[in-house]
Amino acid sequence: MTVATRFKSGRTGPGDAYVSDHSGSPHARFMRLTSYALVPLGVLSAWWILGLAGKSLEGVRAEIGRPFPALVLLAFGVVGMIHARQGMDDIIEDYVHDKVLKAQAIVANTWASRAIAAIWVLAILLIAAPK
Amino acid sequence: MADADTDGLAARRPLSPHLTVFKPILTMMMSIAHRITGAGLYVGMALLALFLLGAAVGGGAFSAVSWIGSGFIGNLLVLMIVWAIFHHLLGGVRHALWDRGLYMDAKGRELLAQGTLVGGILLTLLVFIFKTLAG
Repeated sequence: MTVATRFKSGRTGPGDAYVSDHSGSPHARFMRLTSYALVPLGVLSAWWILGLAGKSLEGVRAEIGRPFPALVLLAFGVVGMIHARQGMDDIIEDYVHDKVLKAQAIVANTWASRAIAAIWVLAILLIAAPK
Repeated sequence: MADADTDGLAARRPLSPHLTVFKPILTMMMSIAHRITGAGLYVGMALLALFLLGAAVGGGAFSAVSWIGSGFIGNLLVLMIVWAIFHHLLGGVRHALWDRGLYMDAKGRELLAQGTLVGGILLTLLVFIFKTLAG
């Protein structure tokens, strides 16, 4: 995942991550961009996720079936798992020091995060898409 | 991706963070909590994805996953996910403020650490109370 950087090296302005031509800068910047989107998405999603607790099948389907919660939860799942994948990459790179194991863990993370996002999207579409 | 070199020298170097020698302080605890809630949300999202898939398929599939969203374990799990969202969100806001050079002095960063801890619990309680009243 890359985002074009404006400088070869340096700080583009107050509040911007330190930017260089290596992969760390796009990574840091992408974490920030996704986190901004996740503020409104997270608050709204937390509200509706809490609403799922203790609901019957019909109750869950009614909650997710409305267009606005469905769209917000859809976006939360996709943007959230992109952000989560990069965050988990950070954790792996920090704690897994064996080269082979690290490479394997990062591949596993890539596909696990994609699978979670895919199941999330599929499930919401199955419930909320007009029949 | 930064590769730590694996020759003898690198292996003999001490690794940071030195969790066993640092005095535990709130800003450090909130940094750790940020990472734990982040990793926790990864697992939480996986469980919720299964729950939603079960609800989409219905019948036996929903019975198989309904423990994620109901009963004692389900309610606790959902509440923990909601708390983790708020805690991690406020922790992110804290980082966004620091990115802009704000609240970086001792008083400021302590305030933000306290705000993250108290705010996360408060927001969770607030949403829980509103949701209970609305339901």
